[in-house]
Amino acid sequence: MKQFSKIFKFELKNYLTNKIFVGVTLFLVVVIAGVMFFPRVREALGPKDPTVPESSSPAEGMTDGADSAHDAPVMLLVCSEEEQALLKDAFAGAFPRYRIVFSDDDIEEIKRMITSEEAECAFVLDGLTSYTYYVNNLSMYDSGTSIADSILQNVYQMRAMLNSGMTAQQAQDVLSVEIEHEEQSLGKDQAKNFFYTYIMIFALYMVIILYGQMVATNVATEKSSRAMELLITSANPVSMMFGKVLASCCAGLIQLVAVFGSSLLFFQMNQDYWVGNEMVSSMFGMPVDLFVYMLIFFVLGFFIYAFLYGAIGSTASKLEDINTSVMPITLLFVFAFLVVMFSMSSGNVDTVLMKVCSFIPFTSPMAMFTRLAMSTVPLYEVVISIALLLVSVIGVGVLSAKIYRVGVLLYGTPPKIGAILKAIRKS
Amino acid sequence: MKLEIKDIRKSFSENQVLKGISLEAESGKACGLLGRNGAGKTTTIRILMNVFPADSGEVLLDGRPIDYSTVRFGYLPEERGLYPKKKIAEQLIYFAELKGMTHRDAVTSVDFWLDRLGMTEHRNKRLDTLSKGNQQKIQLITALAHDPQIVILDEPFSGLDPVNAMLLKDIVKEQIQKGKIVLFSSHQMNYIEEFCDSIAILNQGTIVLAGDLNTIRRNYPRNRLVVRSEQQDAIRRFLGAGCTEQENGSLLITLASPEEKQDVMQRLTEKFDIDEIKVFEPSLNDIFVEYAGDQNKEENA
Repeated sequence: MKQFSKIFKFELKNYLTNKIFVGVTLFLVVVIAGVMFFPRVREALGPKDPTVPESSSPAEGMTDGADSAHDAPVMLLVCSEEEQALLKDAFAGAFPRYRIVFSDDDIEEIKRMITSEEAECAFVLDGLTSYTYYVNNLSMYDSGTSIADSILQNVYQMRAMLNSGMTAQQAQDVLSVEIEHEEQSLGKDQAKNFFYTYIMIFALYMVIILYGQMVATNVATEKSSRAMELLITSANPVSMMFGKVLASCCAGLIQLVAVFGSSLLFFQMNQDYWVGNEMVSSMFGMPVDLFVYMLIFFVLGFFIYAFLYGAIGSTASKLEDINTSVMPITLLFVFAFLVVMFSMSSGNVDTVLMKVCSFIPFTSPMAMFTRLAMSTVPLYEVVISIALLLVSVIGVGVLSAKIYRVGVLLYGTPPKIGAILKAIRKS
Repeated sequence: MKLEIKDIRKSFSENQVLKGISLEAESGKACGLLGRNGAGKTTTIRILMNVFPADSGEVLLDGRPIDYSTVRFGYLPEERGLYPKKKIAEQLIYFAELKGMTHRDAVTSVDFWLDRLGMTEHRNKRLDTLSKGNQQKIQLITALAHDPQIVILDEPFSGLDPVNAMLLKDIVKEQIQKGKIVLFSSHQMNYIEEFCDSIAILNQGTIVLAGDLNTIRRNYPRNRLVVRSEQQDAIRRFLGAGCTEQENGSLLITLASPEEKQDVMQRLTEKFDIDEIKVFEPSLNDIFVEYAGDQNKEENA
């Protein structure tokens, strides 16, 4: 136990005095500070934000003579005279970013204007119910057609209602009727939880991959520098393994606390500037019980992988061997990560695959945490999952200490798994 | 204290590395563990230090199975290596603490040894800034700083210049005088001869020769004479067969029986101008080559 604490202290100090570790942590904190203070700084520097919608006037696009309008991109509208009168205000209001220009050029001329970037896009109407939309490069987020659809629909319905004898006011009331609704989720609100679950899973993924590699490299470095010859005769391999892994876990947690703690602090300082940003506010509104679960799964998940990485590091004689040796574990972990990510984005985190994964020790840290965050999981399932994980962590820890004990004395090509297991059984 | 290794056997996969090793070492004496590369020395040392267990056999201290929680070992491995990027004092203190010292004792002891080896000025430097010989001295501190009862030195002199070798010799002698059990493994026979009272020669996993070095020497048949003279050619003609010239130029005369030696010595000194004449005692080198080399020849044959 005394040896363990010495090793733990020594290894932790190694991390905390490592310039790269300190540098990366500080860098992250600075980046987060930059993001969190951005709205405050923007408000302090720029007096008026031109993109704020209230300052833009819908009529602006139509006044050909206005200076500012010349900078706006041109939207061409090809339609009959009668339609022009109906659509003029509607289009100008719906596309405030554009200068709307009515044109009666032929299709070829319109196409030319768009490809030569004289105009950005064009709506060529065949009537109120049919049109062609021309644009140079169709962006992924282009919503031109859907906006135009609803304008045309509206205009068409309006005209139909007027023709059937309704007054303009009546027609307007019918069209603009608003439905009141309220959402009440009795379980979890996925949309609200999505962002912090996403961020936590990603943090877990990054920390395990990075620190796992560090543990493996650390062991392999000791071996290749032959400091191992002395270590193995000075300390018990179980203490060595647990000391290293616990130290790296602590270093990882310290880094996470620094990063998330500072972001929470900066958020508190700038809370007023983030009002209305659902994503950011929801991230800092994580419930406490979920946070505790996150810590449990984080620590256990970290351990199980770090032990394996450490054991693998001990079988490599050269640092170069590590990358290939750790591949199977990294792949397993990436698999777990992808399963979780896909189910999260599909919106259903309670698929059979996710349920199975939330009990398998190597995938459960991410899968169970995601289910806890985004769905309602019975308590007994959580207890079983954590118990299985805990038992496996201890098992994997002891096994990897044994592999370590055998592995560190083997030089040459990395041994096959069978050979290692055989050696463990004998010792 | 008396350290005994009894009939240790060990195999790795199908390869039997140790085939029944027995050894004895006592406090205040040094025991030389000799053997060619791959003879099983390091495996024996690792079993002795409990890095892995033997398949069979036992390690006893004063007749009882050794208690690794109380006995302190000091080990200078043949494969040298510490943390190259760490400060010297920092890692020395760490290793001393791992061996059970308190932080304060570890600091005191490390400072003492740095001073003893003339390395105090390098205390806060990184290890990889030192020369190979100086790194070796730092490594020696890891073997001695925690005041071990059993000191195992594997090739301690390799890479040291004569001045440092002299310093190390003094330290080894000091350790022996302090009543420690010193196990010594080296291929430099002159050092073994200088320190070790007893030796054990390992060859392919068995002890082929063990015991007190002087007794071993005396047990060699005393039927050979070494003669140095200006008239060696005349002596060869006079004695006929049984004379061979040694590498150092002296004449080695093998007699039919040890009883003849007095008579032959007298006759030679009367007849020729003799600079030196003595009964041939094999050097450790000769013994080593004979025992460690022979079986290899048989195997090759």
